[in-house]
Amino acid sequence: MISQNETILIVEDDSQIHNFIAYILKQEGFSYFIAKSGQIAMTTLISQKIDLMILDMGLPDLDGMEIIKKVRSWSEMPIIVVSARDQDKDKVSALDAGADDYLTKPFSAAELMARIRVMIRHLNKTAKPPIQPIISVGDLSIDFEKRQVFLNGEALHVTPLEYNLLGLFFRNIGKVLTTQFILKEIYGIGYGTDTQALRALMAGLRRKIEPVPAKPRYILTEIGVGYRLVDE
Amino acid sequence: MSSNKSHILHDISLTILILTASTCLGGLFRMLDFHETNVVVVFIFSVLLISRVTRGYAYGICASVISLLLFNWFFTKPYYTLKVNDMTYFITFAIMTFTSIMTSTLTTKEKQAAAEAHEREYESNALYQMTNHLSDAEDASAIAEITVRTSSDVLNCNTACICFDENGTPEKSFIQHKSDGTIIRRELTNPEELKRRMEIINDSSETIGNECCYPIYGKSMILAVLRVPLDTCSTMSPSQARMLHSIIESAALAFERLRSLQAQAKSREEATQERYRSNLLRAISHDIRTPLSGILGTSEMLMDKLKQEDSNYILARDIYQDAEWLHNLVENILNLTKLRDGKLVLDKQPEAIEEVIGAALMVMEKRFPDRVFDVDIPDEVIVVPMDARLITQVIVNLLDNASKHTPADKQILISVIRDEEKVSISVADRGTGISEKDLPNIFQMFYTTRSKGADTRNGVGLGLAICQSIAEAHEGSIQAQNRSGGGAVFTFTLPLRKDKK
Repeated sequence: MISQNETILIVEDDSQIHNFIAYILKQEGFSYFIAKSGQIAMTTLISQKIDLMILDMGLPDLDGMEIIKKVRSWSEMPIIVVSARDQDKDKVSALDAGADDYLTKPFSAAELMARIRVMIRHLNKTAKPPIQPIISVGDLSIDFEKRQVFLNGEALHVTPLEYNLLGLFFRNIGKVLTTQFILKEIYGIGYGTDTQALRALMAGLRRKIEPVPAKPRYILTEIGVGYRLVDE
Repeated sequence: MSSNKSHILHDISLTILILTASTCLGGLFRMLDFHETNVVVVFIFSVLLISRVTRGYAYGICASVISLLLFNWFFTKPYYTLKVNDMTYFITFAIMTFTSIMTSTLTTKEKQAAAEAHEREYESNALYQMTNHLSDAEDASAIAEITVRTSSDVLNCNTACICFDENGTPEKSFIQHKSDGTIIRRELTNPEELKRRMEIINDSSETIGNECCYPIYGKSMILAVLRVPLDTCSTMSPSQARMLHSIIESAALAFERLRSLQAQAKSREEATQERYRSNLLRAISHDIRTPLSGILGTSEMLMDKLKQEDSNYILARDIYQDAEWLHNLVENILNLTKLRDGKLVLDKQPEAIEEVIGAALMVMEKRFPDRVFDVDIPDEVIVVPMDARLITQVIVNLLDNASKHTPADKQILISVIRDEEKVSISVADRGTGISEKDLPNIFQMFYTTRSKGADTRNGVGLGLAICQSIAEAHEGSIQAQNRSGGGAVFTFTLPLRKDKK
């Protein structure tokens, strides 16, 4: 068993689910705390050093959104939201409030572990201060100093908007970015909610970086939520 | 008819009687050597009297002319001729005629006005009574009974009322007035005929057999039919016809009020039921999904721990697969219920077709890791207003279906064609195809093809029904066809224009 340094907080009222998550985490060598209610979660968050939180949105006492907002007021710890609600709006508002990723019940152990690993890696990377000038994912890389994009080692011509979009994804590898967040970052605050331009921009970018745009390798579509740049 | 004749006879004899009496009185005056003016006054009075006691203008006017002639004949010199010696009599004649005609017209008019007022009072009284009773009526047959009573009273015959139900079909029995004043219920002999005839009616009434049928319409449909004997209909006076019209209108209002009350009660009841139902659905969705998540996770964990050759591994895998199947079923039922009830509010956004197809392919990759799907999309970006999650579900369902019916080495192709108004997305396979028998029913709920063994768990027959509901909610369509060269193709379309909302 590999021992991990990170401590994970599981906030979940359903005992079957938290037992299952706890089991996986134990297998992977993480230490963890279980909070069966929002109140307990808040106490644990204050009293313990927590590196990552897995948060169920349907808690009996506190609203998940509130926990996210409170935690975000003092910590940047990764938050993975688990939700039985298949309403995209809840996911989107959780992500917009500061959650980093989401899983919809039922989810597989492999899925959960993959998300946790990405978050932990992310955590370690951002801990090392200056952001590396060149970041790669697969055959795709971006050079932040030269403002250039490379595919298979060859320079790729992208428009300034496409570069900004790609840059945004590379700064948030593995993280789900909501459509609203991207709109705000790319087009500025006050742009509104017209997603049509973003869809077209994304399609143009995909035609340059993806061999088959309908089967993307790099930037995946999270239907009804946003996009995510895969982590390797 | 006979009563009319006797009226005329009565009026004529009265006229003759009065004129004779006036002539006699005139004779008496002549014998007593009264001045002729008195005779003129007597005749004018007689005309007034005749106008008063007879009906219509005719008798009064005739009487004026006859009294003039009588006066000329009996009382002006030379007597017993129509000759006149003194020309000043002509002035007397003119004034006398004029006065008597005017008197007669005025009297008749006044009489008619009085009669009309009386009639109106009677009408309004009858209608008032009817409305009064109608407001207390609690069901359709009570309204029918009041209508029948009032109309029988007014028309002086035996009417009947046939109520129609919400679907515009006549009820089996109807209300009939009997000559002794009682009301009975009778069996309707030919409801189909009545319904058919009432549907094509374009006049205010329709004759069926010996009865005249007056439809009672509500805002949108026929509510009842008032049946009046044919001979009453043909001899009806204008005022009776007017009354009948008012009765029908009052009845229509009453029936309509009853309908709307019933509709209100029904919608209240439906709202309650809907609340129960959505509570139940919420309970199902939460209480089934949550433990299923647990079962899925735990069995996956077990599979992870065990080696693939281990017999326990197969047990764990079976648990996992069954739980997943059950989970899909629950999701499908929930989605379909929401869709069919029209409760699902579409979250339409402009979405790129390639992204939804990509998302669907990602789902399929997890379900069928070894399967390759071919994609044929035009190079241009096609952005369509849609609820992306639902459309992804349609594509997943179609791809899933295709995968289950197509051998692993055969092609499954998903292609997109765009034209002026719509985008067509098709999933074509080289599988077993659809048998002719199944083709018309394939989108029905819970329809599963019989071609496979009874043990196959693959379909509960909801997937395609969901696809159809989703396509239709987007104002699009979905079709299934067999391909030449084997296999099936499912094509669904989405309109390109933004909807008016």
